[in-house]
Amino acid sequence: MIHSLFLINHSGDIFLEKHWKSVISRSVCDYFFEAREKAVDPENVPPVLQTPHHYLISIYRGKLFFLSVIQTEVAPLFVIEFLHRVADTIQDYFGECSEGIIKDNIVTVYELLEEMLDNGFPLATESNVLKEMIRPPTILRSVVNTLTGSSNVGDTLPTGQLSNVPWRRAGVKYTNNEAYFDVIEEIDAILDKSGTTVFAEIQGVIEACVRLTGMPDLTLSFMNPRLLDDVSFHPCVRFKRWESERVLSFIPPDGNFTLMNYHVSSQNLVAIPVYVKQSISFFETGPCGRLDITIGPKQTMGKTVENMMVTIHMPKAVLNANLTATQGTYTYDLTTKVLVWDIGKLNPQKLPNLRGSLSTQLAISGNPRYIMTLKLSQLMLVDCLKVSRLDMYGEKYKPFKGVKYLTKAGKFQVRT
Amino acid sequence: MPYLGGEDTVRELRRALSNPNVQSDQLRYRNTILKVIRAMSQGVDVSGLFSDMVKACATVDIVQKKLVYVFLCSYAALNPELSLLVINTLRKDCQDPNPMVRSLALRNMTNLRLPSLMEYVEQPLTAGLRDRAACVRRVAVLGWAKLHNLQPNSEIDAAVVNELYSLLRDPDPVVMVNCLRALEEILKEEGGIAINKPITHHLLNRLKESDVWGQCEVLRILQRYRPQSEDELFDILSLLDASLVSPHPQVMAATLSLFLSLCSGLPAVSLAALERVRGPLLAACGSVSRELRFTALCHIQVSLLLRSLPGLMGAHYKRFFCGYAEPAYIKQRKMQVLVELVNDDNVTMLLDELKGYCTDVNTDTAQAAISAIGRIGRSYSDRCLEILTGLLALKQEHITSAVVQTMRDLVWVCPQCSDTVCLALEGCEETLQDSQGRQALLWLLGVYGEQVSSAPYTLEVFIDGVRSEVSLGVKMELLTTTMRLFLCRPAETQDMLGRLLHYCIEEEPDMCVRDQALLYYRLLHCGIEETQKVLQGRRSDPSLGVLIGRPSEPISQWACSFNTLEPLRQGTVETDSTSRGSPEHVTFEPKPNTDLSDTLNCSQVEKVPSGETGRTPFLARIHTDTHKPLFLASLPFSYPFNKCLCFYMPI
Repeated sequence: MIHSLFLINHSGDIFLEKHWKSVISRSVCDYFFEAREKAVDPENVPPVLQTPHHYLISIYRGKLFFLSVIQTEVAPLFVIEFLHRVADTIQDYFGECSEGIIKDNIVTVYELLEEMLDNGFPLATESNVLKEMIRPPTILRSVVNTLTGSSNVGDTLPTGQLSNVPWRRAGVKYTNNEAYFDVIEEIDAILDKSGTTVFAEIQGVIEACVRLTGMPDLTLSFMNPRLLDDVSFHPCVRFKRWESERVLSFIPPDGNFTLMNYHVSSQNLVAIPVYVKQSISFFETGPCGRLDITIGPKQTMGKTVENMMVTIHMPKAVLNANLTATQGTYTYDLTTKVLVWDIGKLNPQKLPNLRGSLSTQLAISGNPRYIMTLKLSQLMLVDCLKVSRLDMYGEKYKPFKGVKYLTKAGKFQVRT
Repeated sequence: MPYLGGEDTVRELRRALSNPNVQSDQLRYRNTILKVIRAMSQGVDVSGLFSDMVKACATVDIVQKKLVYVFLCSYAALNPELSLLVINTLRKDCQDPNPMVRSLALRNMTNLRLPSLMEYVEQPLTAGLRDRAACVRRVAVLGWAKLHNLQPNSEIDAAVVNELYSLLRDPDPVVMVNCLRALEEILKEEGGIAINKPITHHLLNRLKESDVWGQCEVLRILQRYRPQSEDELFDILSLLDASLVSPHPQVMAATLSLFLSLCSGLPAVSLAALERVRGPLLAACGSVSRELRFTALCHIQVSLLLRSLPGLMGAHYKRFFCGYAEPAYIKQRKMQVLVELVNDDNVTMLLDELKGYCTDVNTDTAQAAISAIGRIGRSYSDRCLEILTGLLALKQEHITSAVVQTMRDLVWVCPQCSDTVCLALEGCEETLQDSQGRQALLWLLGVYGEQVSSAPYTLEVFIDGVRSEVSLGVKMELLTTTMRLFLCRPAETQDMLGRLLHYCIEEEPDMCVRDQALLYYRLLHCGIEETQKVLQGRRSDPSLGVLIGRPSEPISQWACSFNTLEPLRQGTVETDSTSRGSPEHVTFEPKPNTDLSDTLNCSQVEKVPSGETGRTPFLARIHTDTHKPLFLASLPFSYPFNKCLCFYMPI
C-alpha cells in the first residue's frame, strides 16, 4: 500500500525518509520537485502526481510536504487521511509539526512511523495507544532520562490494545474529576461588494478535556441538535444513539481529544456578526488610488467583538499605502503586497475606519482581496449549538463539568 | 544529496562507536548511535559503519535496539554477509518474555529483506503465528507476506496459507485484517484471497470492531463477492448502511464503492445510496484538509456523479464557490463542477461568480474561469458573450488570449454567436502575445473574414512580421487564414498572399511550413472551385453537446473507477492541458456517446498526436501520397485538429 514516505521542507530538501517495503531512491521525488517548481506557490502543488512507475500522493501541512510513494492502485482518500493522521500524531506529540521539531525528535518520529505502518499497512494509529508504546517527550522526563539513562519507551504492552475500549486505558485515577467542553464555531463566509452574503457556513468543533477516574460513561445532550447538518464523531461516540435520540453517548478517551466536528450550512441560520463598508478606487489619470474601509457590528446581541484583524491582499502594482486608522494600527508589507489592519476590540459607538491614499504603478491588474479574522467570546447567537446537560453513568463520584462557547472567523472574505 | 564533510562525520562516528569507554556507558553509546541515525536521515552515506552497528545490536536497551534496527534495515541489502550476524540476536529476542520485544524482533527480521536469510526466519514466523500476544501475531502474519515478496516465484507453503485462513477468526481485529492483506499478496497469482459466503459474513459482522483502515481494507476486498440470492444481498446492504454515512470519508467512499458494485443490477438502490452519501460527500468537499477537498471534488466531478443524478448536488451549488485562499487546483476543479450545475435559476449567480474568478492573480485559474464561462456559453450564449467581451476591455495579455480561444471554441459550437464575436475581435491583436491566442485569432479571421472589416489589415501585420515569427503553429495557421481570406476578399488579400507564399516557399527554414505553402500553391493552380472545396469546410459543429438536456448517464459507467486514483489522474491531465491553453483539450471531450462518434473513426484519431508537434507526420504523408493531394490537403485546415477526420472531402 504505502511504499515510502518522504518529508520535504519548504525549500525542497528531503530531511526524512522511511521505507516500508523496499528502499526507493530519492530520485523519485524529482517528479514532485518539477511539479513544485511549476506551481510557484507551494500550496498549489497538486496532491496526486503520476510518474511512470509510481503515484506520488502528498499533503502540505505546516510548511512541510508529506510525500508518500504508492506502487499499486489504492483509495486516494485512504492515503490522504493516513498522511494527515501522521501529521496529527506528530503535532500531538511535540506540540507542533515543523521541520525543526521533527529534526530534534527524529528518533521518536522514526519510532512512531515504524509503529504506525507495517509493510505499508496502518498498524497502530490511535494516539492513546501510541502514547503508551512511545511516550511523548516532556521537559521533566527528558531531564530525568538524561540523568538516569532510562528511555521514552514503555516497557509494558499497552493495556488499551487488549481492553474492550481501545481508546481508553484501564485504571485511570484522578483526585479532581473534571470534564470540560469547548464549543468552537468558525464562520466561513464570502460577502460581496454590497455586503450581502454570497456563501456562509459554520464549521464547528467540540474539543473536550476529560479527566475522570475509572470507566465513566458520559451522555451529552444539546438544546438544538436538529441544527446540525453533517457531523463527524470521535470513534468513541455511539452512532446508533445519535441517530435515534440525538444525544452523544460515549466512554471518553483520557485527556484532550476532539469529540465531534459539525457543519451548519443553511444560509439563513448563519448570522454574520459584523458588516464592512468599503470603497477602493484607482484613478485612471495618475499613479494613485483611494481606500476607505469602515467596520461596524451587526447581530452581535450585545456581545463584544474582539481581536478583529483585516488583511487585504493588494494588487501587485500597489507600491505603497499612506493611510490613517481611527483605531488600531496598520502595516503594509511591500514584498507580499499585504495590508494588515489590527483593530482589536470593536467599539459600536465609534466605528473603526481606515482611509487614505495608495500609490501605484500605472498598470493596475486585479482587485484587492479582503480577508478578516475576528473572535467573539461567549457569544450566544440564535444559531449557536447549545449544550443542555452532561450526565455520567458507571461511576459514583460527582465530577466538575464545564462548557465554553467561542465563535471565530474562519475564512471570512469580502469581495470588491 | 551531496553532503559536505560526510566522510569526516563517518570517520568520527566510527571512532566513537568502537571506543570501549563509549560502549560501556549506555547513555553515551546510545547518543552516538543517535548521531549515526541523524546523519543517515540527512543523506550521509553511513553504510561503512555496518559492522560497528551490528555489534551495537546486542543490548538490553530497547531504544538502542530500535535505533540499530532502523539502521540495519536501510543498509542490510548492501551487506548480506554481515547481516547474518544480526540474525542470532534477533532469534534470541523472539524468545523474550516481553511481547513488545518479540514483535519488534520479528518485524525487523522480516524487514531485512535478504533472501539468504529466509531459512532462519521461517521458524520464528511460524511460532509467531501462534503467539499469545496479539501484537506478535499481527507482525507475524504480515511477515509471511513480506517473505513471499522476497521470493515471489517460490512455492507457497499450503500449511501456512491454511493457517492464515484460520487466523481470519482471530479475536484481534487487526490480526484478522492483516491476514486479509497478507493473503491478498501471497495469493496474488490466483487472484487474491478466495471470498466465500462464510468468510463474507464473518468479515461483515466484525466490521465494527476494526479501525477505519481495517474497515476500508475489508470493504475493498468484499467487492469481489457476489451474493447468491437477492435476500442475501439485502442483508449485506443493511449491514453496510451505517458505514455509508460514516464520518470518515475514506470509509464512506469504500462503502459506496462496495454498494455500487453489489447493486450493479439494481439502479434504484444505487441511486438511493448516492442520495444518502450526499451529506458526507459535501462535508468532505468543505473539509479543512485541502487534499481531501480536492479528492472529494474529483470524485464528484469526474465520476460523473453529477451527470448520473443531476439533481443530487443542484441545490448545493454554493458549496462549490471558490474562496480566495484556496489553491489553484481546487479552484479549477470547483469551476468544472459549477459548469455542470448550471440551470435557468442559478445561471446569473454562477456567471457573476465565475466573472469574479477571471481576474484571479493566478493566470491558470483565470484562464480556467474564462473557459468555464465559454462552456456555459453553449447554453446561455448571450450572457456569456457579454462577460467575455467585457473582459477584453481589461487589455490583460493572458485574459485576452484565453477569451479569444474561448470565443473560437464557442463559435465552433454556436455559429449564431459569430456576429458578436467578430465585433469584439477588433483591436485585440495588440494585446495578444502567446502563440495559442494568436492562432485562435487567426482561425477566427480566416473563417469569418468577410464579417471582420479590418481582417486584411490585421493579417498584413502578421505577414510583415512572419520572418521573426518563432511559433510553427502560428505560421501554419497564418497560411491557411490568408488562403481563406483570399477566397472571400481577393482584391485586398492577393498581394499579401503572394508575398507570404513567396517567403514560405523560398526562405522559410521549416519543412512543414514550406510543404504546406507548396501545397497551397499547387492547389491554386487547380482552380478556384477546387480551392474553395478544400478550404471552406464546415464552420461549426452544432452537434457537439449543449450542456443542458444531456441524457443522464448510467451509474455503471463510472462505478468501477469510484474510490480509485482514476478520477484524480484524469484531473491532473486535464489541468495540465488547460494551463497550456491548448484548444483541442478544452473543447474536445472523448465521450463515447456523443453524436460526434458516429462520424469519427476512432482508430484513426488515436494515431493522431494532438498539438503542434502532431502536424509533422501528416505533412510527411502528403508527400508520399501525391496522387491524392485533395484528400490529404483538407486535413490541416479543418478545426479543431482532433476532429479533422470528420471533414474528409469526397475523393
